[in-house]
Amino acid sequence: MSSRDQSDEKLERLVTQVLRDQPLRRAPASLEARVLGELAARARLPWWRRGIATWPATVRVPVIAACAVCVPLVWILSLWVAARVVSVTSHPGVAGPLASLWDAGHALASFGTTLSHIVQSIPRDWLVGGIIATAVLYAFLFALVAVGYSLLYRPAYSKAYLT
Amino acid sequence: MRAYQDMVFSTAVRLTGNPAQAEDISQDVFLRAYESFDNLRSSPKAGGWLKTVATNLTLNHLTRHRKRWRLFSEIFSDDSREEELEASAESAAAVFDTVLTELEADERRALVEKALERLPDHQRIPLVLYHYEEMPYQDIADRLAISLAKVKTDILRGRVAMAGLLTPGGPGAPDDPRRSPSIPRGAQP
Repeated sequence: MSSRDQSDEKLERLVTQVLRDQPLRRAPASLEARVLGELAARARLPWWRRGIATWPATVRVPVIAACAVCVPLVWILSLWVAARVVSVTSHPGVAGPLASLWDAGHALASFGTTLSHIVQSIPRDWLVGGIIATAVLYAFLFALVAVGYSLLYRPAYSKAYLT
Repeated sequence: MRAYQDMVFSTAVRLTGNPAQAEDISQDVFLRAYESFDNLRSSPKAGGWLKTVATNLTLNHLTRHRKRWRLFSEIFSDDSREEELEASAESAAAVFDTVLTELEADERRALVEKALERLPDHQRIPLVLYHYEEMPYQDIADRLAISLAKVKTDILRGRVAMAGLLTPGGPGAPDDPRRSPSIPRGAQP
């Protein structure tokens, strides 16, 4: 063993001994009061201001389900409204005053048809990719909400050392 | 909580070198413990769990400020002075030997605490993980995402720097005469 290794080993041993001999540092007297105060403050929060993991299951499951079906519902609802608008404007009593709207609807319908042709010409793999991308966007949206919650509603103690 | 608060606070303050940050981290540790209270209440491993959480939260906290201490580490890293470091290791060992044998426990405790707080982050963190947490070099390198060689060099330099801070008239010598132990000048690194 070289002299350097020997001196390094001796230093390591002595530092270990000095540090391990150190007693624990006494926690500040304010620590316990801070923890208890924070717990009390959390207990006073309504359930919807706490993390979603602590929400009652009877609320959490429907919320997650509602989030999952929200976008398809909006999509279907939009299509339904568009169809209703087209059918109403085609009625003779309404067609006259709404001729310009009818023209606009007609143009929109043509656009929809064109769009439909384009969608049908998209390869199947692309559609699958689109579905996956949508799922990823859902996850991203969920993460965004979680981050927003953390930044806006988490207590100040965590913000203090996040900054 | 009272049984463990000194241990949790010590773990955090040794790594951060900052009592105020350590108190914030300790608070967070106990709040997490409260969330797992049902599991911890009767567990004999509660102390180990708290220590692990305290270490992880402190390292996470330090990682957020990582760029700062990593930058300094790289600026002040000078691997060309190996011979000087070898000579310093010998005299540093003499300083620690003197601290162990000649100082009263209270005086030694205060002096070592201050010296540890005054070490730069890039030396204190691996030093504490190695000597207090008994973490192997490779684990420290993995946890801090730095090379194994750098961990070893930083720890060695940290030991030498700490010896300097423990020495009267050294770089970290305080004005307070109570913190100037009777370490012989010949033992200074």
